[in-house]
Amino acid sequence: MKKYLIATTFLAGIAAAGVALADDDDCNVAMSNWQPREAVKAMAEAQGWSVRRIKTDDGCYEIDGRDAQGREIEVKVDPGTLAIVEIEYEDDDDDDDDDDYGKSRKNAAPAGSVAPPDNGLFTPGSKPVVKQ
Amino acid sequence: MKTLLAMLALTTALSAPALAAPVTLTTNLSNYGGDGAYLALYVTDAKGAYKGSLWMAGGKAKYYKHLSDWHRATGGNTAEISGITGASVGAGRQLKITLDLSDALFDAGYELHIDAAVEDFRDSPSEVVVPLTRAGANKPVAGRHYIRDFTYGM
Repeated sequence: MKKYLIATTFLAGIAAAGVALADDDDCNVAMSNWQPREAVKAMAEAQGWSVRRIKTDDGCYEIDGRDAQGREIEVKVDPGTLAIVEIEYEDDDDDDDDDDYGKSRKNAAPAGSVAPPDNGLFTPGSKPVVKQ
Repeated sequence: MKTLLAMLALTTALSAPALAAPVTLTTNLSNYGGDGAYLALYVTDAKGAYKGSLWMAGGKAKYYKHLSDWHRATGGNTAEISGITGASVGAGRQLKITLDLSDALFDAGYELHIDAAVEDFRDSPSEVVVPLTRAGANKPVAGRHYIRDFTYGM
């Protein structure tokens, strides 16, 4: 058992990725299927974000800017479909995304300032309160 | 005094069914000795079909596939958890969420599920499945791997 654990840790070190969970790239879209940057910008503005910079990272588009509430955000977007892969808030202080599966306490969505989805479960207009 | 009490009882009885009371969902994690757990709390109807999400603990969408029952039901659509996403929950710690839920969810065959996943550990879909009934409120339900117990209180 111990041997197995050591081997796993070793492999994880080599791969520099959370073996069981992390992929090498967050997006995997052929270059010919990428949407233009203007489309990304339009999508961001449609969400109410202000865009400072659009770059590519881990095979995705990454938007740096601010959300509608003025919080700094880093959003990974699928380059083909422009679906949101991941939203990080700048007050989240870890930059690598390999070992923070369970350490992203500061990456919490702002409960209480955002309305829950309209899925029929919640009272319309109510706001969740979270303590942890 | 008596009339006042009677009036109070009457108004309470009249207003109670129309109101949705705040429901507190308390999840205590066991000391499983790993990183923080991702938890998806969601509701299925009497037929077992996915109805909607109540909370997602864990901010990275690329890990959501490990919450496999939730992921199968939603296709991993983050719109399902927009505004109800928070941080993952550390081993041995507590997640306590208070939500204003529709009264229609109780005593109507709905079940609350919790999928759990921890990095490098085995996925645990539907680790907790508990029928939503008024009688079942405030009674802790034990989990299997990562969740020590779960309680919903009204």
